[in-house]
This record gives sequence, structure tokens and C-alpha cells, in this order.
Amino acid sequence: MATCKIISNSRMHGDYFRAVFDAPEIAPTSNPGQFVHIRIDNRLDTMLRRPFSIHNAENGRLTIVYKVVGKGTSALAGLPEGTLCDIIGPCGKGFSRPADDVIPVAVCGGYGAAATFMLTRQSKNGGVLLLGARSEKDLLLTGEYAQAGFQVKIATDDGSAGIKGRVTDLFPELLEEYKGKKLFFYGCGPHPMLMALARLLREKALDGELSVDHIMCCGVGACFGCVVKVNDHAHPGEWMYARSCADGPVFKLADIYTE
Amino acid sequence: MAELKVDFGKFQLKNPVMTASGTFGYGLEYSQFYDISRLGAVVVKGIRSVPSDGNPTPRVAEVTGGMLNAIGLQGPGVEKFLHDEHYLPGVKKTGAAVIVNIWGKTAEEYAEVAARLEAEAKADITALEINISCPNVKAGGAAFGTDPKLAEQVISAVRNATTLPLITKLSPNVTSIAEFARIAEACGSDAVSLINTLSAMVIDIETRRTKLANRTGGLSGPAVKPVAIRMVNEVYKAVKLPIIGMGGICNGADAVEFMIAGATAVAVGTANFVDPFAPLAVIDFINDYCDRHGMKSVSELTGSLLN
Repeated sequence: MATCKIISNSRMHGDYFRAVFDAPEIAPTSNPGQFVHIRIDNRLDTMLRRPFSIHNAENGRLTIVYKVVGKGTSALAGLPEGTLCDIIGPCGKGFSRPADDVIPVAVCGGYGAAATFMLTRQSKNGGVLLLGARSEKDLLLTGEYAQAGFQVKIATDDGSAGIKGRVTDLFPELLEEYKGKKLFFYGCGPHPMLMALARLLREKALDGELSVDHIMCCGVGACFGCVVKVNDHAHPGEWMYARSCADGPVFKLADIYTE
Repeated sequence: MAELKVDFGKFQLKNPVMTASGTFGYGLEYSQFYDISRLGAVVVKGIRSVPSDGNPTPRVAEVTGGMLNAIGLQGPGVEKFLHDEHYLPGVKKTGAAVIVNIWGKTAEEYAEVAARLEAEAKADITALEINISCPNVKAGGAAFGTDPKLAEQVISAVRNATTLPLITKLSPNVTSIAEFARIAEACGSDAVSLINTLSAMVIDIETRRTKLANRTGGLSGPAVKPVAIRMVNEVYKAVKLPIIGMGGICNGADAVEFMIAGATAVAVGTANFVDPFAPLAVIDFINDYCDRHGMKSVSELTGSLLN
């Protein structure tokens, strides 16, 4: 746990914001897929901490990208530069480092793209971002991924950017283009998208890791509020609950339970 | 420096600050932040005879001044708790005093868990806390804690099954909590702890659905504190048993208030989620408070209400 100063906290576009913290205690040990648990203020209606994927961590600085969706995130969006925040992190299990011989493919929905960004720095072979969003105005970080050497493919529900459809609809094109190459998938996004992705990866005999979470409370594995269903390997075909904050949020594809 | 040791008759704690069951995992989750042996005791999450899945999700929802939870007592079961490093063996290595919260679906199951804990880990356990008050499971929680006859059955069954000190955790979801404290006393409980969470509901007005999959959940956090203080004081006047007071304690001043109302010790619950260091700040505050008020021992605070 550390007290971290906000270096900048500004709107990217629409309801999307980016906050940068001075976090020398947290940044150096942060890995892609991990999260920070932030105490936003002392108000009685936003008492509990809020979890945010770590978008970037370098030079002692920590960046998160977030969408204003409720009281907590709107309070966060109102915090000015210089504010001191109490942050627990890095929390949870992140993505494994891409193996030397694979091309990492980040498959993300909306601001899920924040969680996989640091993979761009770990990859030896570039990579691909498949990004799905409602419409063009919900796309983010595409420029940063491209700059970091990732090919970016887009799908939007309304067809305002990229192909019209779901992020999984980008697979035929991807698999054709990367035929014969060893791909490894990293997923982060809304739950239905992740379940569709897990099914598709299994159907195509591909492998990967998915960041699956649920409404969190303690963030450290104590309260069992944020559990998600994972395969119970001791009882094939059955599920068990795992804490997304401590056992996850990143789970291996083999652990992901799809109903 | 006041004497912080507190005496429960059958057991003693180095200071009056413990953690509330269900808010502190099995202890190790918070030992990444500080040495948990500094606490009076660590009260672990409820243990039954077999593993349990708990309730469907969403299980938690924030409200003004607190939160609702309906975890439903997910847990590893007594076997794993006794032998897996993530649970009792690991917590014991920290040197912390451990109080084990137990539950079951029948009185016999409560007794079985108590007997097993005594047989295999007596030396490692300071006391058992009988959970007859979880609002989120029917059999094993609410039913036992809100029906005097069932409460009597469960507490007596556990009393007959173990010589370990017993704390009965009482439900606030009753007309008279003092009545249940008297039952606990008559059935051989060595202490009572209160309050468990208050049965509550929260609705998302856009979807017109309850925010919790279980529909109802237990309210905790600062919002419940005045209710808890009143109940601690009622129980203090009704029985001779020492009381562990809890319900919305966020800081040392809250804890002192519980002790003045009649608590011998206190437990920090929801505040752990906000500030993992909250229990340590409570210990420091109590010590300073005693010094400031010329109290040589923290026990002078208990029941010191003047009107």
C-alpha cells in the first residue's frame, strides 16, 4: 500500500480518462493484467476501493485508463493533479510473459485494451490487437498499440470503424494472415465477450489467458465477493468459485468455465 | 502505556482488537500488509464440515455508509482448513491468536466441526465462534440465530462437543437480542459477539432488479454502528458474559464507544476493506485514549457508560 500523487488525470475523449500516478513503490513490480486498488475519497457513498487494470508502469509511474461509469469513477475523474491517493498494488495474478516463439494477440473489448498494453513491451515478435467496441467513439489506445509495434484490427457493433461485428468476427482474417505462425491469446473485456472468446479458442484449438473479474470489494482475497466460475479440475465438467482478485483476474484458458 | 490485555475468563487476548469473521479471509490475506500477530486475535471466515460454494454473484453492493454482502459462507471445509498451508497451519506460523468461526446446516454438524477442531488443533485455537447469525444462508445462519429453540440446540450441541472456549455470534435481526444472549449464557457459551450484519436489500432502479443475486444481503459498515452500540449495551445489561462488540467500527473512537457501551473487546470488519491497517490504528487509539483518561487498564473502559 502506498500514497501516490496524481501527476495527471485528464479526459482522453468521451467518458474515457487517463490518470498517471507517481508510484515508485508499485510501478517497478507491476505486470500486464495486474490491477491497483484505489481509495478514491472519504465520502460515505464511495467508501470502498475501486480496482483498475494497470495500463502502464514505467519510470516509477503508473497509468490507468478508465471510463466514468458510476459514483466512484466520476469522483476519480474530479481529482486534480497533485491529489494524494491511497493505492494497494500491484494486485492479483497478471498475464504470463509471451514466450519467445509466439506472437501475442490481445483480444479486447472497449477499455479492456488497457490491461494488455504492457504485453507490447514484453513481446519479442510484435503482436496483434483485436479490439471490439460499440462504436468508433469507444475505441481507445489504438495509436499507442500501433506505435508499440502491434498490428491493430478493429470491430465495432455499428460498423463506424473496422468491420461491423464482434471482436471474435476478426478471427477468420487473423488466422488466415498468420497461418503457420504460433499465436497466443490474451483476453480482456466484458464477460459475454470473454466467454465467446474462450469458446472460440477451444473450438480452434488455440491457447491463451483471459482476465475475468467481478465486482470487487477487498481486492486482496479476503472477502470472497468477486468470485468467478472456473473449471474444477478435480471434478471434470464441474465448476468452482475462484477469487478474481487473488486467484485471478487472469486465468489460463484451461481454467475458464463456459456455461 | 495502558495495560491492553483483556480477560475472557477462559482465554486472554493481548489487546482488545480483533477482526470480524468474513472480512479478514483466513488471516494470511492481510499478513502482506503487517504482522497480524499484533492483533488481539484473528477471527477467520466460517468453517463447516465440508467445502461450500457460497451464493451466486453479484455478492456485494456498496451503499451509503457501508455495503451489503451475500457471500453465503463460501469455504474450504474443516479438513482443508486444518491441513492446508493457506489456512490454519499458515496462520499459526504468523504467531497470531486464532478464533475459528464455525457453522453447519444442522446442530450435529456444528458439533462435528467443533469436535474435529478440538481433536486436531486444540493448541492452535484460542476459541470457537459459533455463527448462528449469517443472514445469507438459511440453514446454518438466520434460522438458528433467530429462533430461540434452535439457537439453544446449536449452542448446547457445540458446548457438549468441545472444551474450547465458545463465543456465540448473535444476529441483530431479532426483536430482542438480549434474549439470545441469555440463551447463549444458559447454554454454556463463554462470550457473545455482536452484531452480525443487518438483513437488507438494495435495488437497481434502472433494471428494477436487486443488486445482489441472493436478493437480500447483510448490511455492514459505519451505517450500522448506532444500532450495534445500542444492542451491545442491551446485552451488557442482560448477561454477565463478556462481549465482543462490532458493527461499523472504522477507527479507534468507534471502538472506544463500543467498549463504553459494554464490550470487553471489539472487532474491525468492513473497515479492513477500506484501510487494511485500520485494526492497528484502533489499537493505538485505544492505548492513547486510556492514557489520556488516566486509565491503567483497557478493562476500565468496559461498561463505563455514565448514564
